[in-house]
Amino acid sequence: MNNKAKIQTCTLGELMIYQIALSIEDGILAFHGFGSPLVQLALHLAKRNHAPRLVLVAGATYGVNPMPLFLTPTSNDFAMSQGAECHLNIEELFDLAASGRMGRMFLSGLQIDKWGNMNVTRVNKNGKLTLKLPGGGGGCNLSCDTERITIWTAAHRSPFDDQGHRRYRLVEGCDFVTSVGQRTAEGIHRSGLPLRGQGPDCLITDLGVFDFNSDGHLRLRAVYPDTSAELVAENTGFDFPVSENLTTADLPDVALIEFIRHMDPMKIHHRELSQADRERTFQLSGG
Amino acid sequence: MSLQQIYTQDDKQCTLSDLLMHVQSGDCVAIGGGLSWREPMAALRELIRQDIKGLKLVGSAHGIDIDLLCGAGAVAVSAESYVGFEQDFGMAINYRRACEAGLIKVEDNCCYTLVQQLRAAISGLPFMPIRSVQGTDFMQLHPEFKTMTCPFTGEQLVLVPALKPDVAILHAHYADQHGNLHIEGPPVADILFAKASAKVIVTVEEIISHQELAQKGVTIPYFYVTAISEVPYGAHPTSCYPRYAYDREHTACYYQAARYSEDRFGEDYLNPFVFGCKDNDTYLEAIGGKARLAHLEQWNNGMEQWMKLYE
Repeated sequence: MNNKAKIQTCTLGELMIYQIALSIEDGILAFHGFGSPLVQLALHLAKRNHAPRLVLVAGATYGVNPMPLFLTPTSNDFAMSQGAECHLNIEELFDLAASGRMGRMFLSGLQIDKWGNMNVTRVNKNGKLTLKLPGGGGGCNLSCDTERITIWTAAHRSPFDDQGHRRYRLVEGCDFVTSVGQRTAEGIHRSGLPLRGQGPDCLITDLGVFDFNSDGHLRLRAVYPDTSAELVAENTGFDFPVSENLTTADLPDVALIEFIRHMDPMKIHHRELSQADRERTFQLSGG
Repeated sequence: MSLQQIYTQDDKQCTLSDLLMHVQSGDCVAIGGGLSWREPMAALRELIRQDIKGLKLVGSAHGIDIDLLCGAGAVAVSAESYVGFEQDFGMAINYRRACEAGLIKVEDNCCYTLVQQLRAAISGLPFMPIRSVQGTDFMQLHPEFKTMTCPFTGEQLVLVPALKPDVAILHAHYADQHGNLHIEGPPVADILFAKASAKVIVTVEEIISHQELAQKGVTIPYFYVTAISEVPYGAHPTSCYPRYAYDREHTACYYQAARYSEDRFGEDYLNPFVFGCKDNDTYLEAIGGKARLAHLEQWNNGMEQWMKLYE
């Protein structure tokens, strides 16, 4: 039986993994943190697809160029560092970013503002802590030091709650800035800050793909076959510019989809997606 | 400046309960391991049994270790970088509940800031400079961080003060009786913690002869180490590869017990698995005894067996 002939669609997760992978340049050192299966898969996909010289550093184990047998739901696991060429320790990993050797890192947030600032620390109401989030790990330091940041979230869609309000993921302002974007919350451009890295240059969500315009503002660059600029706008807590060349994002090919399915047999990456989003599929063209 | 304490006893072995006598209520504590890997869980359960409270916790990326201490009411301040169960179970419920109730003062830190603060302590310096953190709200959260203009380059840098925990609590694979430690796999921040802390207490899977330990390699030299206790499976339910994998099933049971309230967590988890167990052997019986442990040791019997542990 020919498996290849059977794959005619890709899932939202696979599309997001592919889009995250496309942000990764060949020949750089990139680091995936922990608790981020979409990103972990994207790095392996990039290395296999277009970035064979990528120095892939795995989050939590700090294994370099590992070949995980399968994706696990916990990041600091021997399964994730199998086959690693070598291992770094915690100070070496962060020194690499501070000294300008880390090309790309991947960050997310419960709140993401229009400049790419993010909050994974705390939500406040009237100055009082109402929701303690897990915290950013090394994300704060890496958002400053790493050359480029890919932002991702699988929870851009913000349905109405019981009171008819949307709790946006993409918000006007963050309650706490855990990691810094293209401008500070006060609007100071990053180039005016004494930071090494250039900051975030893309955002991949469950609804579309953004880049940043020359002001440092998020700009919609691509939608998906089942989304539109209007839908993205409805689910976003701020107004944003749309690229003149707005496109529909490319889908991964069959070989890449097979690679993802092989590497994540337990579908760990589905845990980042809402129940409804796990069902979204896209017809591959040319089949 | 005073001479820093080093530890030179010939034999540092003690019981688990004696080991925890080195921790006082109110101490600043660094806990080794990371996420679901090599957490000193047996030592933390004993700490709770000894009613040690008011701790300030410092660390990088953690999960059930910090959450358990929070659920037992042992924590006054958290300066961890991350406390959660990743995509496996999600938010750390006891930690979150205690922070939101105002029982724990939230002083979140970030991994490299922590590393540099520990390096300052290790180097005997009052601070270390970093370039990062600027532009984030950690500057407001930590008023002790200062900025300065670099006298060499003119850049604005952040100075972070030395961090010297009162005690580091670690779990290692092997020790000799002198206290030399061998850790396999990622050391996470254990080596930094051991060198920066005033006291270092360690549970180990096995105490072996110095010759055997020297062959495996000394990860942390003995004179940093205050006391050691042999506690097989002392990291359970976190992993201690290559000996045993992470016990996801027990962690699911823990998470379920934490879900509803502090009281329910006390009844459904702390009573059966902490207060109801006088020592770690009793605990190991409570979690399923030899059969359960043998199951966790089978991770190396092929990919199918290994994957089953995550179901």
